[in-house]
Amino acid sequence: MIDAHLLVSGIIFGLSMGSIYFLTAIGLSLCFGLMRVISLDQLLYYAIGAYITYSISAAIGNLWLGILCGVVVGGLAGFAVERLVFLRIYEKDITFSMITSFGILIGGVGVIKFIWGLVPRPVPVPIETQLNVLGTDVPVYRLIVILIALLVYAGIWLFLNRTIIGKAIRAGTEDVENVEGLGINVYRLFTITFIIAGALSALAGGLNSPLIMVDPQMGLEVLAFTFMVVIIGGLGSIKGTFISALLVGQVVSLGSLIYAPLAQMAPFAIMLLILLIKPTGLYGSQLLKR
Amino acid sequence: MKSDDILTVAGLNVSYGESKVLFNINLNASSGQIVACVGRNGAGKTTLLKTIMGFLKPTAGTVTSNGTSLIGRAAYVVAAMGVKYIPQDKKVFSDLTVRENLELGSYATRDYDWDKVTTYFPKLKQLMDRKAGYLSGGERQMLMIGRAILGNPKLLLVDEPTEGLAPSIVAQLKDVFRELSSKSTLVIVEQNLPLVCAIADKVYALNEGHVMAELADREQIKPETCEQYL
Repeated sequence: MIDAHLLVSGIIFGLSMGSIYFLTAIGLSLCFGLMRVISLDQLLYYAIGAYITYSISAAIGNLWLGILCGVVVGGLAGFAVERLVFLRIYEKDITFSMITSFGILIGGVGVIKFIWGLVPRPVPVPIETQLNVLGTDVPVYRLIVILIALLVYAGIWLFLNRTIIGKAIRAGTEDVENVEGLGINVYRLFTITFIIAGALSALAGGLNSPLIMVDPQMGLEVLAFTFMVVIIGGLGSIKGTFISALLVGQVVSLGSLIYAPLAQMAPFAIMLLILLIKPTGLYGSQLLKR
Repeated sequence: MKSDDILTVAGLNVSYGESKVLFNINLNASSGQIVACVGRNGAGKTTLLKTIMGFLKPTAGTVTSNGTSLIGRAAYVVAAMGVKYIPQDKKVFSDLTVRENLELGSYATRDYDWDKVTTYFPKLKQLMDRKAGYLSGGERQMLMIGRAILGNPKLLLVDEPTEGLAPSIVAQLKDVFRELSSKSTLVIVEQNLPLVCAIADKVYALNEGHVMAELADREQIKPETCEQYL
């Protein structure tokens, strides 16, 4: 039997980890949903967000300002890559975007090594306070991470459902040609989506930086889990990505409490199981044409 | 080519990779006309509409509207110039409500006068908050047409509008197309020959990417005449 205190902290740990997975995966999911591209470069913005947070918080001692700057830089990086690279490959096969974006990720890791070096960097946790939850002390910072992910989910939901640009993006995930045929500049939608995706990936990196050691490979380290979250949730589905991220977070966290190697294995087993039952993922629709 | 022609297609050739689909297509439509393209599946009818709209790039030939070339322009620019495409298979945005579908049509054209849509299709009024994915085939087609006529397009490209619809809906659409032709020029790809013959001012018969016949005389436009080319 697992100790109740251990279980509570395991659940909170899993939720915070799932929150980070959600923020990282949502960009990948949005980009696939609308543009039918696999944007692995999102993991680069995740690392950039963490490094900018590290640099700013080391310089002026304010983590939140660091995260904010990271978000801005992540959004700008997403914008630049979309304009310079993806704009030229939208019409090509999906594998082309996967290989190209993986190249950007690897190249970006090299740039990070050049700027910040190879040594992992620690970022201090801004809030050391613990909060008592069901008799167990849990770090307040992890609760804030969960809260921010919930707010982002609500914000994305409102954006997609209450704004005309969001509605156009939702329509585009069904049939982008049909949206264009109405007279809507879909390339502007693509750019907006990339900026949002880059900013959210960077937010994930910034928020996660005090919970891990910031190192150049950090994007590559979460690549498999991020990809898994998107696939389990259903490509292009925000709700699916959210639920899947929390599920994977719990499986990793609670799995490690039961038997440590489970933490790495169990999410893949869950993914296989879900894909066997529902090949399009939890909330994925049939793959639609671009 | 007359500059008052709403649509002029001249010497159009289109290929999908190595496979040539359209061969030297010539077609024109004047203001207020209903022009129908008939032909078997695979004749190149949809390819023709998609090329006019800017979704496909021709290998040769010209497409002009009121003397302005449409070739090389993105589809959203062509749409902004007053050319709207209503695709086949009733492709509404199924996850969006009827209202949201119309909002997108309005957003693109800045035309928020939905009365003209509900005048043609009163039924849509009661369906505003229903997800388009739950509409019947006929209701979807009404929504597609309603969404496209926002912004008062000068040219409507309509792809297989009556496919799979009940006769009563087809009869309703026939009246709607007639009314629409007083404001827009229509190019309709259709296999329903009685409908084509009832509304078309001109018929182009396509076969394997070639225009086999151009029937411009109302007397010629009869189901038995058109059927020869199918």
